[in-house]
Amino acid sequence: MKVEEKLYTLRYKRDDEPHLKIKNFDVCSRCEKEYGTPQPCISVCPANVYVWDGTRMVISYENCVECGACKIACPFNNIAWSFPRYGLGMSLRYG
Amino acid sequence: MYDVVVVGGGPAGSAAALRAAKLGAKTIVIERGSEPGAKNVSGAMIRVNDLSMFDVKSLPYEREVSKVRLSFDGVQIEMKPKDKLVNVGRLKLDRWLASQAESAGAVLITKTTVLKVDGRRIVTDRGEIEGERVILAEGANALVSINSGLRRELKPEETVQTVKEVYSLSKDEVNKRLGLGEQEGISVRYLFSNPIPGAGFLYTYKDSIAFGIGVHMRSLISHRVRPQDVLEEVKRSLGINELVKGFSLREYSAKIIPENGFPAWRACSGNLFLTGDALGVVNPITFNGIGPAVISGYIAGELAVNDQCGSYESSLMMERTLSQAIKLRPLVKELLKEENIRAYISMTSDALSSWTSGDLSLDLKANLWRLTKHALLLLEAIS
Repeated sequence: MKVEEKLYTLRYKRDDEPHLKIKNFDVCSRCEKEYGTPQPCISVCPANVYVWDGTRMVISYENCVECGACKIACPFNNIAWSFPRYGLGMSLRYG
Repeated sequence: MYDVVVVGGGPAGSAAALRAAKLGAKTIVIERGSEPGAKNVSGAMIRVNDLSMFDVKSLPYEREVSKVRLSFDGVQIEMKPKDKLVNVGRLKLDRWLASQAESAGAVLITKTTVLKVDGRRIVTDRGEIEGERVILAEGANALVSINSGLRRELKPEETVQTVKEVYSLSKDEVNKRLGLGEQEGISVRYLFSNPIPGAGFLYTYKDSIAFGIGVHMRSLISHRVRPQDVLEEVKRSLGINELVKGFSLREYSAKIIPENGFPAWRACSGNLFLTGDALGVVNPITFNGIGPAVISGYIAGELAVNDQCGSYESSLMMERTLSQAIKLRPLVKELLKEENIRAYISMTSDALSSWTSGDLSLDLKANLWRLTKHALLLLEAIS
């Protein structure tokens, strides 16, 4: 089963404002040169939120499971990470 | 103006609020999820003794754990637990913990995220409130604690990434497949070395099975492998896919576990008190995070009411469960190294399989230095 299908098991309420942002896209290119593919944020993310298209990082923030791994893994501290507002984002039934 | 503002309605936050409210403080808990537990992930087992500050008679548990099994590369050891262990679902558990804090007089508000604390001003995404003391029980992603300068961000070397799945079918099927009685539960721990070294866990809910893995973040990065791919490979090699065949996936979740923290990080400064995962008090050897979290929260609740930031750190160090978790840190740091996990898995399975075949030819010599070093670290922790 693909991760995208697994994410269907979660209840999501989408925040229109992205809670994950790349501070500087040039830094992602530098990271790709230094660390290779996939970059650390892609390796640690359990929800395939980050996709490198060769020139920039595309973020599917609405799939985020809010674990916080990407901000720690980024060697350049290049991810502006916050929680979705007002309790939006994912909700768990078992946890 | 509140006496005590608790940031986060998980186990640490509810324990802090329970204590503060019982001592007569005007207490409020601010929880970012739609209800307590909606954003919380853990294994699924707790020690009932750790929750003794709550009224455990009404604890909403799923099953009582009657067997604890360790499994390394096909070799298994089974034990009966000494203390009462139960499997729990976090949504039910966290709701129950919070409701006890509410019964003691604490106010709970949900769907609200605290953004920063500036002295007595607590800024949330829905406006500001004022509080004399603030207990930060915001979990592993402790943004407010970090922004307040009380601690720094975790490093990949200090972080374990976990992913977990819950599979449901029926109570009878869970009992049949795991050889359990009607209300019996089980806890299984696995150590694996492929595709990267890590630990797995299996727990039982009434009609469901939880399986998950924890792997070191540095290993994911250096091997360029994703946690979800490690999970699939481990499920295949441990036979979990067969075990849950016919069950449907009910939930997929992930959580990071802090493997560093107090006392390397300050627990208190001015009117701010850190607790639980925000403080970093998990015991990775016993897989216990909720126990140390509620204990640190309960102590913080009392000392916040009495404005005793000065004695918070020493009170934490003196508490037995917490001091053990802290003393095990140097050993855990060693054991998280890939070469050590690999060595122990092969040593254990070699030893056990040679023992069962009647020929104990344990090659201790090759690992003597490793064993001595780790034994010394363990002795230091339990002395």
